[in-house]
Amino acid sequence: MPMVLVCPACDVVHRADDEIAHTASTGRLRCARCEAVLHRPRRTRVDTAVALALSALVLFFLGNTYPLVEFQINGARRETNLPGAALGLYHAGHPALALLVLLTTVAAPLAQILALLYLLIPLLVKRRARRQSTVFRLLMQIRPWTFIEVFMLGALVAMVRLSAYAKVVPGVALVCCGLLMMCMAALTSLTPAAQFWYWVARSRR
Amino acid sequence: MSSVITGRGLGLLVCLRCQCAVRALQVKHPRCPRCYAHLHMRKPHSLAVTAVLLIFAAILYIPANLLPVMYTRTLIDQESDTIMSGVLVLFEGGSWPIAVLVFVASIVVPLLKILALAIVLYSAWRPSARYRRQRSELFRLVEFIGRWSMLDIYAISLLVTLVQVQSFATIAVGWGAGAFGAVVVLTIAAAHTFDERLLWDE
Repeated sequence: MPMVLVCPACDVVHRADDEIAHTASTGRLRCARCEAVLHRPRRTRVDTAVALALSALVLFFLGNTYPLVEFQINGARRETNLPGAALGLYHAGHPALALLVLLTTVAAPLAQILALLYLLIPLLVKRRARRQSTVFRLLMQIRPWTFIEVFMLGALVAMVRLSAYAKVVPGVALVCCGLLMMCMAALTSLTPAAQFWYWVARSRR
Repeated sequence: MSSVITGRGLGLLVCLRCQCAVRALQVKHPRCPRCYAHLHMRKPHSLAVTAVLLIFAAILYIPANLLPVMYTRTLIDQESDTIMSGVLVLFEGGSWPIAVLVFVASIVVPLLKILALAIVLYSAWRPSARYRRQRSELFRLVEFIGRWSMLDIYAISLLVTLVQVQSFATIAVGWGAGAFGAVVVLTIAAAHTFDERLLWDE
């Protein structure tokens, strides 16, 4: 049986071998019927992904410990960091919303970074992580729930609304979160499922 | 029958997590050989689950827009804000690009998502060969824009945390925000449980 690619969006079967070879240099391969992206060229190395994930981890810790915004009114000052925003909702009597914010801005990115590092570092030394498939499935499940970029825009909206009444000073963590957002976006596009399993297959040799 | 060869026609199962194609065997609960995820020819009970999530989202969309999301108390007065009045405040404050952004993200996008999912769901339920690709693209658009409605929730979370200057000004969160968060989660979940391939099945 020839190697096939089945479109996950419309179930059409494509003959894979020659098409992949053909598009490897030109760009992404799209389904002939529904135009869903089937395949992206595999150019990245594991090192790149690991380096990105490590810098994302550093940025994550900076972004979560330093203040995000500071608010000054009549001599009173208040500042908050990322987990603090979720805690604020909790204290305001909305634990479910607080949990939602915490999961999508703190827990999901952290879990995603840690899972990637756990999976990729062993590949660097031609080994495989324990319970690789379980962690991989977890990673794929968490991925769509990381909303840092939305949070950044939300912070902007909040700052604009507050600036009408008081002085608002953006904090260090805001920059870190912005950089983290870019790191996460790059990581997600560099490590699609097919890429990961390609690395795994290659490290087996 | 159509001329295209489908995975179902060949008896191939596709792993939606890692995109590997597997020949369907006579096993009760097939799993992906590579990532060990459960395999199904189509997502189980896709239409029913998506429909239920969507109906709940549509119902909650009403309180999300009518109930106040935020109460602002200052020394002088107390006012409550719904999502729409929040947009108007931004607009009158002179920052109209931000006002437009919030309006699109919190009012237009959720409504569009609910409508688009309803259209897609209906056309999967009563399949027709017309506008298939457009419907598929509509669904992908829903998947893509889904997350952006969280915008207002994040803005509120920061506002409520920052504005707690004792006895001078405080901000409290209203139940509109809770309903709104539920709408966002429910519509994202509905997009997850919907199986795109049902739009193309003959």
